[in-house]
Amino acid sequence: MTNILFYVLAIVALLGAAGVVLAKSPMGSVVSLLGTFFALAVIYLLAGFQFLAGAQILVYAGAILVLFLFVIMLLNLGAMGSKFELSFAPLQSTRARIAGCIALALALVGLVAAQRASFAAVPERDASAPAIDSMEGLALELFGRYSLPFQATSLLLLVTMVGVIALAKRQRSGDEPAKGEERP
Amino acid sequence: MNPQDLLTLFDAAAMTALAPLIALALGTLAVLACGIIPGGSVVRPIAFLASLAAAAAYCVKTLVDGAPATLVLDGTFQSGPTTAVWGLVFIASTLFAWLYSAHYYEEDAPFKGEHDVLMLATPIGMMLMAGAHDLLVFFIGLELLSIPLYSLAAFRRDRIRSIEAGLKYFLLGAFAAACFLYGAALLYATTGSLSLDVFADPTRRAVILDQPLALVGVALIASSVFFKVSVFPFHLWVPDVYEGSPTPVTALMETGTKAAAFAFLLNALAMLPNSTAGSIALIAVITMAAGNFGALAQTDVKRMLAYSGIAHAGTLLLGVAGSLNGDPARGGAIEAALYYMAAYVATAGGAFGLLALLERENKGTTTLESLKGLAQRRPVVAAALTLFMLSLGGIPATGGFLGKYLVFSVAVRAELIPYAILGVLLSVVALGYYLRVIIAMYMQSPAEGSVVPESRPTPFATTLASVVCAALVIGLGILPRWFLEVM
Repeated sequence: MTNILFYVLAIVALLGAAGVVLAKSPMGSVVSLLGTFFALAVIYLLAGFQFLAGAQILVYAGAILVLFLFVIMLLNLGAMGSKFELSFAPLQSTRARIAGCIALALALVGLVAAQRASFAAVPERDASAPAIDSMEGLALELFGRYSLPFQATSLLLLVTMVGVIALAKRQRSGDEPAKGEERP
Repeated sequence: MNPQDLLTLFDAAAMTALAPLIALALGTLAVLACGIIPGGSVVRPIAFLASLAAAAAYCVKTLVDGAPATLVLDGTFQSGPTTAVWGLVFIASTLFAWLYSAHYYEEDAPFKGEHDVLMLATPIGMMLMAGAHDLLVFFIGLELLSIPLYSLAAFRRDRIRSIEAGLKYFLLGAFAAACFLYGAALLYATTGSLSLDVFADPTRRAVILDQPLALVGVALIASSVFFKVSVFPFHLWVPDVYEGSPTPVTALMETGTKAAAFAFLLNALAMLPNSTAGSIALIAVITMAAGNFGALAQTDVKRMLAYSGIAHAGTLLLGVAGSLNGDPARGGAIEAALYYMAAYVATAGGAFGLLALLERENKGTTTLESLKGLAQRRPVVAAALTLFMLSLGGIPATGGFLGKYLVFSVAVRAELIPYAILGVLLSVVALGYYLRVIIAMYMQSPAEGSVVPESRPTPFATTLASVVCAALVIGLGILPRWFLEVM
């Protein structure tokens, strides 16, 4: 039962990912991405990661996609069809085909490697410690072993914000975006 | 990990290791806060320098105390003399880039404060990368270094080349980051851990490296690190990005990023099977060839130095290959790499910095043509640039020579002799284009009718940084023993 559910969800996630690339309108891409995120969240649930599944829905489906939608609506990308249509034009070029073949070959290598994987090197978990899939276990990892990267992430987010503002904010009123090589 | 262990996590050793990072992080916040307080633009450079100085002082303190290398924070972070010297290298690279950037932008250029915030955040990322004993720590460090650099590369928004450089660097860098994460996930699947510890025990290491899934993971991680240090075949982005970025930022990318990624590579060597030494040496020699022959064809000095940076990454990679011999001391490769990078930070930092100065005077061009007759116009600048070119080329009595010597001797000791010979020959090729710069400055006069740029007084920050760089290049060249003892 779990297996069947996993395969169904995996197919939904893959179809959603394909939809992101192939959808004609940006809105269609966002909706496809939503499908992928939900399917992934349920896969996390199947693997026993309740908190991760919740965070996936809240953060990705809730916050990030809504942000995407806002940006698309603010940019008002013109003639967006109200229908969900696919366009296969991106796949027509030779370059895209070559890239696709390379990606497929790499995926096959990955599949073969995964088939032959053994988990002999994975150590037994300490039974007394809280399991990583519980919220307590996750918190202990974040505030214990990984407290350094966890705290560095806060700085990373701050710096990213500063970098984005420096790049995206209009410099002075009446400033035009760069067109020529050098402005006088 | 149990809840009661949390109390002992941040012990004295951990705080010693983290002190430079904390100093830099507080400095970043202070520089950011200078944007809203009155008189902030006066306080900002002081805050920037104070934070760098505090971080450097903590690194020196670790060196003076001479405590042996230990793992802190539940084995995720390294502390010890090697990490401290790397820290000093990163701080020097940031300091040079910042000093040269002080007068690079237009007087009324906006976002100067943001520029400094981004620049001060990069050494934190570098230190996290160099000290990382866990793939997750390394990844956060990598991003903390890369994201400010993406933004800084595109900082001259009035130039389309700068925007192109930022976008190119961002897209390819994001792809490399994805590769790294995928590789780390595969390694986690086979080992149940993200720590480099799993490779410490030889028998366990053999079991892991016997699995195809782990090997795919290692290959993905290696390619993303190779991308950052611009090793063949992941070097194609370098010339465009380095040429388009503001020159002080290029100096930071060229010296800091390279040093940090190599520091991690030397820590993570245990991931690579020893049998790969030959193939890595081959990649190193191909990288040197690609960089050197690419540089020969350039007429723009900035682009030429970008190609020369690829060649230098190849040289250093040869040392890395030489250290894949399974002995714990790594055949002196860590010392050789530290020495090489310390000399390189001073040399390449100074060379790019002087280019930044000349670029401002020559209205944005850095071609060989614009350097003609520089010896008459600016004798001191020409002399300093000559020194840096000689050191990049590896002429004796400069730091560059000893760095090259140490790296090649690591390769020879590891019996990679054919590769070492090829490497030395390629270094001779490199002299071809370094000398061309010197010839243009001293022996050629500007073409008829070309506009001779007006000489402006050299800004104090540029003079200071150049003097320090030149002193380091000469000092590392003639007093190697002193520097090696400090390490």
